[in-house]
Amino acid sequence: MTEIVTAATPRPDEPASREQARSLWTDAWDIMRRRPIFWIAMVLIVVFVLMAVWPALFRADNPLLPNMCLLERARQAPGVGGSAFGFDSQGCSIYDQTIYGARASILVGIITTIVASVFGAILGTIAGYLEGWVDAVLSRIADVFFALPLLLGAIVIMTALPTPSSPSTGNYWLSIFRVVLAMALLGWPYPFRIMRSAVIQVKPNEYVLAARALGASPLRMVTSHVVPNSLSPVIVVATNDLGSYIATEATLSFLGVGLPSWIVSWGGSISNASSLGLIRQAPFMLLFPSLFLCLTILSFIMLGEVVRDALDPKLR
Amino acid sequence: MKQFKPVPLLSLRRVGVGLLAATTLFSMVACSQNTNSNTSASSTANPNDVTLTVRGCTPQNPLLPTDTNETCGGNILDASEAKLIHYNSTTAAPELDIAQSITTTDAITWDIKLKQGYKFQDGTEVKAQNFVNAWNWGAYGPNAQLNSYFFAMIKGYDDEQCTDAKCSTKPKADTMSGLKVVNDYEFTITCSSPTSNLETRLGYTAFAPQPDSFFADTSANKANFTKAPIAAGPYQVTQVSDTQFTLKKFAGYSGKYPGVVGTLIFKVYTDMNTAYADVVANNLDLDDTIPSDDLVGNLWQKDLVQADGSPRNGSATTGVIDVLSFAPAKVDPGMADIRIREALSMAIDRASITKTVFNGARTPATGWVSPVVDGYKAGACGQWCTYDAAEAKQLYQAAGGYPGGTINLWINGDGGHGPWATAVCNSIKNTLGLNCVVQTTPDFATLRDKINNRQLTGMYRGSWQMDYPSIENFLTPIYATGASSNDTDYSNPTFDSLLKQAAAQTDPDKANEVYQQAEALLGKDMPTTPLWYRATQFGWSDKIKSIKMTPFSEFDFGSVVLN
Repeated sequence: MTEIVTAATPRPDEPASREQARSLWTDAWDIMRRRPIFWIAMVLIVVFVLMAVWPALFRADNPLLPNMCLLERARQAPGVGGSAFGFDSQGCSIYDQTIYGARASILVGIITTIVASVFGAILGTIAGYLEGWVDAVLSRIADVFFALPLLLGAIVIMTALPTPSSPSTGNYWLSIFRVVLAMALLGWPYPFRIMRSAVIQVKPNEYVLAARALGASPLRMVTSHVVPNSLSPVIVVATNDLGSYIATEATLSFLGVGLPSWIVSWGGSISNASSLGLIRQAPFMLLFPSLFLCLTILSFIMLGEVVRDALDPKLR
Repeated sequence: MKQFKPVPLLSLRRVGVGLLAATTLFSMVACSQNTNSNTSASSTANPNDVTLTVRGCTPQNPLLPTDTNETCGGNILDASEAKLIHYNSTTAAPELDIAQSITTTDAITWDIKLKQGYKFQDGTEVKAQNFVNAWNWGAYGPNAQLNSYFFAMIKGYDDEQCTDAKCSTKPKADTMSGLKVVNDYEFTITCSSPTSNLETRLGYTAFAPQPDSFFADTSANKANFTKAPIAAGPYQVTQVSDTQFTLKKFAGYSGKYPGVVGTLIFKVYTDMNTAYADVVANNLDLDDTIPSDDLVGNLWQKDLVQADGSPRNGSATTGVIDVLSFAPAKVDPGMADIRIREALSMAIDRASITKTVFNGARTPATGWVSPVVDGYKAGACGQWCTYDAAEAKQLYQAAGGYPGGTINLWINGDGGHGPWATAVCNSIKNTLGLNCVVQTTPDFATLRDKINNRQLTGMYRGSWQMDYPSIENFLTPIYATGASSNDTDYSNPTFDSLLKQAAAQTDPDKANEVYQQAEALLGKDMPTTPLWYRATQFGWSDKIKSIKMTPFSEFDFGSVVLN
């Protein structure tokens, strides 16, 4: 029976076999990479992120520079006069505007997701771990914010916040954070709730109790045992939310309360293009920014789906 | 003041434009299906049985001539009021209406004789006392009427004013000493200073007479009277509600400008796209607000045609001018150098913008006075209103440029001004290399507040709709030192003295000549730069064959020809 004994008590210095070392994340990766939809989403995301970081790579010129918008070529159809996507009602190249519009949209989406998820997750962990009155207070506060519809609440907040007026790098970031603040303020209760319930689920597990019995400090228990094991649902939610934050930013800019007019964004371009007369006269003006916006949101949502499938133990 | 008002036709928020654009698309499709059902209506009907629906909007104030200074209420009042003077619906020239004669020898004392037998809608006769009492009431400080300043040229106006904002002490007098009733059909006006164009001014809404029942009404701000106002014009207001205003033809109308159809209904629209869709579908008979997007590529002219292919749309030049004001030097020192202002003015390609953005609905301006008024002379702005990229750039560089390298152009977001403002900014940016940013306030009131508090740097939009068709109305209220609408703090003693000289002339042609000299000074000082003159586009349903629009952007209901 030596074999059994050996198997049950491996020597500490013996490298763990491949099967035993499989963590949740390696499992997830294995599942994801076999899904074609994951690769489609990733390719799209890489393209859009590149667009945001380095628009010159796509041979686009900054549409805010002089002589980029010339009235004499206003509303020219795609292909005429040298722009693949045509020219808008002010004679600006729609291609340039669409490529440059990626930056604001994607920045807002990613930063909002990070801020809302981190903030929500931290508070969720506190509430779930401490329980009792802390949990009650935090949960009720979250309920208050949860009750506000994202779009309506964001419109109110955006209208109340002062608008940075002149274009400069500082004001660019200020404008971005303005939108981020409005959406994160209303978006954090979702990751908060998920994190809280995940923590409550993980807390009674034996390994947490063992750590406590060994005298680990609460901070250590939370950081090395509770959080790593309750993080996956928050990640799933975050990936899914990213797309909807991008959509909300576009809606806010469309309504004229999001990013200021001197920041090129898809929402702003769609807003400029979406009057009835222009839809009838120059539909391409509306088509391209909308298409790019849809594809970006779609790719993040597809990624979210794949991540969810990969991380959800019930679906395995 | 009809000053710098938001174009009421475009008083839509961006929020509305986007969302409603989609709904209009559907409603237009839906409506177009039942177009044929009401095309053959009223071909032989008695015009008195015909009802026309007119696009209306919500008046800011109750329907009082002395308290209405915006077009929503003004359109209704002008259809129902008769005044001493009627403006010709094509040329805006003053014509005698209730007045039999208006005479003066010195431009200070004016003698006004009335036609006898001119009736109010309650059957009482219009007498001299009705004018004098109405004006005294309108000018009286404690009544706080928006248009009271129209009476400011009458002697004794100051005695009727409150000394402080709350009006804690009653004014010295409740009548103006300059108004004297001679007999039932004659009264005199004495002005405090020569006012050569008084006759032209008397056609403005504020100068309408009020019947005895108006003075008998003791309710606050004449609330009972304004529910069913009595006037002396061709149409009587019979119903006032939040959604529509009904006007019936007044059978006993005594004047020369009667209406054609029996009933007019001003339907309140909050969205011009809806009104447009309704007139295209023949569900609305008269629409004076064509959304600018439907002007693109002359779409509206293709939408608005009769069954036989003849047009049911029109365009009329109106007494509205759009200018770009430059911030006063003490607010924005960067604007102090006249060469900067001249360069900015020259860098705006007015011809391209009116053609591409407005599709010809605006005419490039060459001066500060609308071409529809008496005394208009082209070219006061001279070379500065002509696009010249090379010279603009040279001037701009010679002046050392605008500090900071970014200039603001302020507009209100609820008036559909975005497209032209962006085009103006791009024109400046392309020509001067100066970064130009369109700054939008949420609504017109906010923009006005910021302008009045002198908080804005750079440039801001201004539009002036004339109160009465005179060159004087485009100069004195906007550019005289300390004038009520002098947004740029413009002050030039020579300009002021020319205005005084012109006002003292008894010969209108001489007066106009001096006013033109004053206007020419604006071209030397450039406190603002003229952009373009407006024309109003309008459409009608297949019930109507044709209709005229006045230079005041109002329908001339006397010119309706039914199909």
